Amino acid sequence: MPGGPEPPQRRPLLSVRHLSKSFGPVRAVDDVSLDVYPQEIVGIVGDNAAGKSTFLRLLTGYHQPDGGEIFYRGRPVRISSPRTSRRELGIEMIYQDLSLAPDLRVWENVFLGEERRRLGIFLDAGAMREATADALAKLGAPISPSELFANLSGGEQQAVAIARALLFEREIIIMDEPTAAISLGKVQEVLRLVAELRARGHTVLIVSHRLEDILQVSDRIAVFSHGKILRVVPNEGLRIEDLFRMMFESA
Amino acid sequence: MAAEQTKPRAARRPAAPRLPVREVLGAPGSVRRPIVFLAIAFGLSGLIAPSFLRLSNLNALLVSSSFLIVTAVGEALVVLMGMIDLGVQSVLASAGMMVAYLNIMVPLPAAAAVPVALLYGVAVGWLVGVLVTRGRIASFIVTLGTYWGLTGIALLFNRGDNINPYSVTPPRQFGFLGFAGHLGPVPTLIVLSVLVVLAGEVLVSMTPFGLWVKSVGSNEAAARVVGLSTDALKTIAFMASGGLAALAGIMITAWQDSIYPLTAQGYSLQAIAGVILGGIPFTGGRGTILGAAIGALIIGLIDDLIVLLGLPALYEYIFVAIVLVIAGLQTRGKGFVK
Repeated sequence: MPGGPEPPQRRPLLSVRHLSKSFGPVRAVDDVSLDVYPQEIVGIVGDNAAGKSTFLRLLTGYHQPDGGEIFYRGRPVRISSPRTSRRELGIEMIYQDLSLAPDLRVWENVFLGEERRRLGIFLDAGAMREATADALAKLGAPISPSELFANLSGGEQQAVAIARALLFEREIIIMDEPTAAISLGKVQEVLRLVAELRARGHTVLIVSHRLEDILQVSDRIAVFSHGKILRVVPNEGLRIEDLFRMMFESA
Repeated sequence: MAAEQTKPRAARRPAAPRLPVREVLGAPGSVRRPIVFLAIAFGLSGLIAPSFLRLSNLNALLVSSSFLIVTAVGEALVVLMGMIDLGVQSVLASAGMMVAYLNIMVPLPAAAAVPVALLYGVAVGWLVGVLVTRGRIASFIVTLGTYWGLTGIALLFNRGDNINPYSVTPPRQFGFLGFAGHLGPVPTLIVLSVLVVLAGEVLVSMTPFGLWVKSVGSNEAAARVVGLSTDALKTIAFMASGGLAALAGIMITAWQDSIYPLTAQGYSLQAIAGVILGGIPFTGGRGTILGAAIGALIIGLIDDLIVLLGLPALYEYIFVAIVLVIAGLQTRGKGFVK
């Protein structure tokens, strides 16, 4: 069950107001509003095509909204690109397919695009290897930073993706189906990492089809359907059946 | 995961004596592999034709391989990103024809003709890059276009004829013969190719740029989500490939003291073969420039050996084919192969 206080602070870190996005005639995200507070885990559930992914992609700058506003720490922001989202707002998205490079080493993946340099142009491999090892150790995932990413198990790969978010001190970490592609035995390991992120002061948005995972880690749960948020409920005494009912009550 | 899968199998079978392939060759993409191949090739060549190991022959081998090595460095950048440049031989020939034409037929001083020919190669690469990234046309198709089209350009310069000092009356020397000279005791062509290889190797294995290039080949989505401009990176790779092919064209023109519009036929595929032999898989993502250069040197070595043994040149094709398939085996991809 959730461990964190709910919600920890009253001032939202991220506020979304009346956000909309259409693709042709399809209203993928329809007038969505949501507040996300510091150091909480918000679970996002909904059937396929409920608008979850598009909503997250608006937050990470992959799509631009047709209407609505996003506030970060109370100030209006325009998330024009994935780079803005990562560098300026500190939002890291961990994709379902992880979007890491299998042929690169663990540390190369962690630092890709944000390399530490020597003399301005050379990779500072030693420092990056060390920092990667540190971040992985903090997560309790003993993975060699020099290992090829392709040689890791699904759970270990997820840990590397999370270590990246941790290392660059992203405030908000968005996880898309973090437990979908890994063996059942490793699911608890990944959920432990998610809770660890909150304990370290991060805010997490987590999307999953595995409702039991959402119930295990989330502080609050937002239920999506047909592009809208039907409701946002505190995760108190909820059962899977309750979530199911909410997801399909308007359908 | 691979380790998990092989463990039970190993347990079932009695421990069979196994060649320490991994230990000697290193991981796929490791530069140790082409180095081991090169050592084997040198050893075998020395056994088959003892004159092979003479300094004069090794010198000749390095000089005559320098054009392919320089071309292969550019090709390697493109293949590292999972693309292909079939046009390098035509860039090479047309840049050679261009520098010769500009220098003795126009005539422009070499100090102008050489940079113009180099810029021409870079500009071709830029155009290829734009067509691949903005035009969203596969690099195979675009560079098949430069492969044919630039051969046509090469033929245009002197109406299909070669250009040499006697193409004009009175005869005029090329002003850039220094490319084929010596720096101290070492042929300039060797110095140039070593510099190109070193610069490429440092760039790919020691700078962020190299990491970005490999990330695009390994998983382009990964490169994009961290905000890398994959289109710009691809275009830069083609520009490097075009520029280096043009440099090879200038080098070969100086060395031969003449240039034929159909010079370097087959070089594109030989450069690609060298890259694969050097440990860069066709899908890109890993490998080294040094490996690709060694791969190109091995192709040159086969050529050299055939000459030393007095065999008909046709054997070269057969040897290269055998070596290439072996190379393909050690860079083979996981999952589906198209």
